[in-house]
Amino acid sequence: MDKKYSAYICTGCGIGDAVEIEAMTGIVTGEMRMECKSHQALCSTAGRTMIEKDINDDGVNTVVIIACSPRVMKDEFDFGADKITVRVNLREQVAWSNGADADKEYVQEQASDYVRMGCTQAKKTDLPEPYKLDKELNKRILVMGGGIAGLTAAQEAAKAGNEVTLVEKEGKLGGKALGWRKQFPTKAPWSELEEPSISGLVRAVEENSKITVKTATEVARIAGCPGHFKVSFKDAGTKNEWDAPAKVGVDEQDKIAKGEMENPNNGLQAYTDADPNAEVFGAVVLATGWKPADVSEYEHLGYGNFKNVVTNAEFEKLASAGKISRPSDGKLVESVAFIQSPGGEEHDRDFPYCNSVTSMVSLKQAKYVREDNSDAKAYILYQHMRTPGNMEMFYKWAQNDDGIFMTKATVTKVNEEGDGSLSVEMKNTLLNEDLSIQVDMVVLAAGMVPTTANNPTINLSYRQGPAFLDLDMFDGYADSHFICFPYETRRTGVYACGGVRKATTMEETIDDATGAALKAIQCIESADRGVAVHPRSGDSTYPEFFFQRCTQCKRCTEECPFGALDDDEKGTPLPNPTRCRRCGTCMGACPERIIGFKNYNIDMIGSMVKAIEVPDDDEDKLRFLALVCENDAYPALDMAAMRRHGINNLVRFIPVRCLGSVNVVWIKDALSSGMDGVILLGCKYGDDYQCHFVKGSELADKRMANIGETLGSLGLEPERVAMRQVAINEFNKVPEIIQEFVDEITALGPNPFKGF
Amino acid sequence: MAEGMRVEPDLNFIKFLKNAGGDTLKKCYQCATCSVVCPLSSDDNPFPRKEMISAQWGLKDKLIGDVNVMLCHQCGDCTAYCPRGAKPGDVLGAIRAYAYTHFGFPQGLAKLCSSGKNLPMLIGMPILLIGILFFLANGGMHLPDAESFKEVGFGHFFGHWDLHFLTKNVVFIDAIFLPAVAFALFATFRGVSNMWKEMEKSVNADTTFRPSALQFAKDFLWPSLVEIIQHKRFNECGENKNRVNGHLPLVLAFIGLFIVTNYAFVVKDIIGYFVEGLHGPIALANPIKILANVSAIAMIIGIAILWANRSNQEEKTGASGTFYDWFLIGEIMAVGVTGLGAELLRLAGLVTPAYLLYFMHLVSVFMLFLYMPYTKFAHMAYRTFAMAFEKYRESGFVKQ
Repeated sequence: MDKKYSAYICTGCGIGDAVEIEAMTGIVTGEMRMECKSHQALCSTAGRTMIEKDINDDGVNTVVIIACSPRVMKDEFDFGADKITVRVNLREQVAWSNGADADKEYVQEQASDYVRMGCTQAKKTDLPEPYKLDKELNKRILVMGGGIAGLTAAQEAAKAGNEVTLVEKEGKLGGKALGWRKQFPTKAPWSELEEPSISGLVRAVEENSKITVKTATEVARIAGCPGHFKVSFKDAGTKNEWDAPAKVGVDEQDKIAKGEMENPNNGLQAYTDADPNAEVFGAVVLATGWKPADVSEYEHLGYGNFKNVVTNAEFEKLASAGKISRPSDGKLVESVAFIQSPGGEEHDRDFPYCNSVTSMVSLKQAKYVREDNSDAKAYILYQHMRTPGNMEMFYKWAQNDDGIFMTKATVTKVNEEGDGSLSVEMKNTLLNEDLSIQVDMVVLAAGMVPTTANNPTINLSYRQGPAFLDLDMFDGYADSHFICFPYETRRTGVYACGGVRKATTMEETIDDATGAALKAIQCIESADRGVAVHPRSGDSTYPEFFFQRCTQCKRCTEECPFGALDDDEKGTPLPNPTRCRRCGTCMGACPERIIGFKNYNIDMIGSMVKAIEVPDDDEDKLRFLALVCENDAYPALDMAAMRRHGINNLVRFIPVRCLGSVNVVWIKDALSSGMDGVILLGCKYGDDYQCHFVKGSELADKRMANIGETLGSLGLEPERVAMRQVAINEFNKVPEIIQEFVDEITALGPNPFKGF
Repeated sequence: MAEGMRVEPDLNFIKFLKNAGGDTLKKCYQCATCSVVCPLSSDDNPFPRKEMISAQWGLKDKLIGDVNVMLCHQCGDCTAYCPRGAKPGDVLGAIRAYAYTHFGFPQGLAKLCSSGKNLPMLIGMPILLIGILFFLANGGMHLPDAESFKEVGFGHFFGHWDLHFLTKNVVFIDAIFLPAVAFALFATFRGVSNMWKEMEKSVNADTTFRPSALQFAKDFLWPSLVEIIQHKRFNECGENKNRVNGHLPLVLAFIGLFIVTNYAFVVKDIIGYFVEGLHGPIALANPIKILANVSAIAMIIGIAILWANRSNQEEKTGASGTFYDWFLIGEIMAVGVTGLGAELLRLAGLVTPAYLLYFMHLVSVFMLFLYMPYTKFAHMAYRTFAMAFEKYRESGFVKQ
């Protein structure tokens, strides 16, 4: 497209007082060669009318708005998908970040740099074109797992109009709920257990004409991408040449070639091969649920040694068979101890994979004991009793029952007594005594281990392997980001719900499954429109590769957090744009710099860096570049500005999609143009990571460590490049972080390459 | 590994407490607000928080030997401040009610006195006893004429027949009441010594050295009595302070009436056996009669205040109204009203209503005496000895 530029400077919100507008207009019309107008409130109807008039009358199609943060006034400055709009943030980053006593000259230079950077950005930006799948888009949804989660997801997706196929490994639908005696209360007074609703749900799904049910069936592999997943089915429990192959990386391939190791995928079709019998789906809902945890490792609790010590899952089975009787001799149960925490005196954690569910299950099962025998006693020995929401009422009901005895307790030992009865020894009880009770049975609150913990389960035929990555960070739960993006996994188009995602109650599972079904539909519709599904919902850019210069180093393929890239027959990366989340991690990884987006690429950011004027003869006017994660650190900066916390005006900020997208060439550009330091502000990583793209800031940290070594060899101090983690709510810390960095570099002295 | 204390919750105990005013006991979630407001609570003995969980767990044996439970005089502070409406004060009352029944001798009568369901029987028995005696002795209804009524008062209630100078009335009353009082005293002694043993057990007291009876009376019992008369502990209450306005006159009234009764017993029943003419009503100006009338009025006023107090408390804090509490209040009110009423009707010369009230008075006094060891009235003995135990516990006999 032929671009016709025009820039608009807003003088409102304190901008006009902080900087000299005429000088800025001069820069735009002079060195940047663009039309430039100013207005006292660009976001007002009058301001927008002025811009729209230029668009309509003069054919302006590339608009530079020199006003407030791009995070605000998004609708006001939206001139349509066929126009390019670039935002320059003078309000937050200049007017509101400088105190009244700031040196006017410094402020003016800061504002001028942002204007140059914004105009440069406009010049280097192209209009995005949505990606269209080269295959026919399929809107069918595959639901894996026929328990409450899977059934609900299938039903909800069908209700929304999508065709659904539900696969279940077992011979019949229903899953774990089939073995339940009663369900938790779902209505006031929250004290009455309810009849299981699973058979109704199964019937509804079986009668639904939009849902195809495949029982005794497993998914062998899933190839392809959102909008066009190719799914191979097989009979449950069998092996098949189309089973998903294990990951074979570059190193393993070498070893296999040299005969040092056996190919783990012998007898399997390669991951790139297409199964002619595969069925095509648009998205997948993973509802494969959980397995009861093995508790035999806790020897002091006697599981496995004493017949009358059972898990909660086993107890439920006993209870659903009729009046609860002792496994050892069939005697009607008169007393049961429910043990919630296995740590003895070592720790007070609950059984692994518990969540609040097992607390509530113990309450439910205590009620069974009391219902079966009004003289029976149920003891609940807990370290934590977790009953969220209205289930607190159920907890209160249990507290008020004459025969339910609850105490916080450190259970130290379960012993068998002569007649099969058990004695439970406990310390640190609420009764302030070490207690011993005699019971007929002991029930252990075993956890719910997600099926993904020990098995790939999803069986993807991807280059990065069949399983979700880094699940050890989530103890095996299939989720990439619990709080911010529920249901999303590390694989676009695959949405997890129910027990595979989190130990959930039935009610939570139903909510979850509904969410996952809608997410799957959203994914298909986004793929249809050629835009990103999440977290950059609606983004119509995607990474484009200039493959002529690709060296097949495979860094992009390896480092993509979402496994979007496979290999083609020649070993060149094969992008799957519908799997992609547009974070740009591949762009940051590429040493050949052949990856870029229409509105976000190596050249654009590099040119913006070079547009910053670096005085080479003034030791006070050092220049710093800050590449800032737009999801967390950039909003934190805006908030710091809104609160007038003051930010050092020697620093120039450039928002990036993700620190993972930062290519080291930008740092070289900055340092070679004489800038004195570069700081990367990213989100938190590690166990409680906050990265929208899971790995971005962690990758950036590694890359910066590498660049540090290179700088050292050039005679530059490695400290000149730093990375810091900022959470979105740390707006009061971010000015300090920046100031510390500036002080550190100031102490080092100016960049020795200044002026070359 | 050392075994912990073996516990076996007693579901029947929990049911009893729930029926005796402790219906809220399971609500306690051990926040210890009660222990903060209770003047009986100490750092190493958070009262009544610990008692609440013991009650929830049905640990009867721990509670009946718990001296603090007996020392609690139900000021209601804990109940007022309890954030969950568990009403610890009422639960403790229920535990005491259980203890009186548990320690009571004989058990059959103790159990009979523990429930409002048995009220017809509890009232019926003395009515039958006194009524039958009245009819048998009197040969049917025989009301005196107004003239002789003025002179002899109720002296001919059980007919006219003198044993030496003693009226038939005195003989009959002695025949009914002396065994009843003796029985009640014996039952109280049995009950209190049961409690004492449980309390000793609960503090693991070494009983090799025991105080002599004199030592016991001087060092432990007498200071407790002094404390009771002074109502020191009542004054530590925050929530229900004005209860002392009712309880103090009541206690003084009982002491006054105790003196009057003993005086009458000695003068009329003992000396009166030998000396003639000591049997008519005592003159109104007689100091003893003045004491009697003042005490009777104090008793009615005192119990009326406690009555109102209890109603208010139930309304305000939602404390539960129980047979255990109201039986005693009703009982004392009945004794006072019938006694004073009979006297007034006698002075007014209204024979029939006077006789009726006198009959009711005899019934209610009989009930007060006979059921004393098992109803709330038993607190008179149990609490006194609990206070003595508290001092005993702190003495060299237990602490070495």
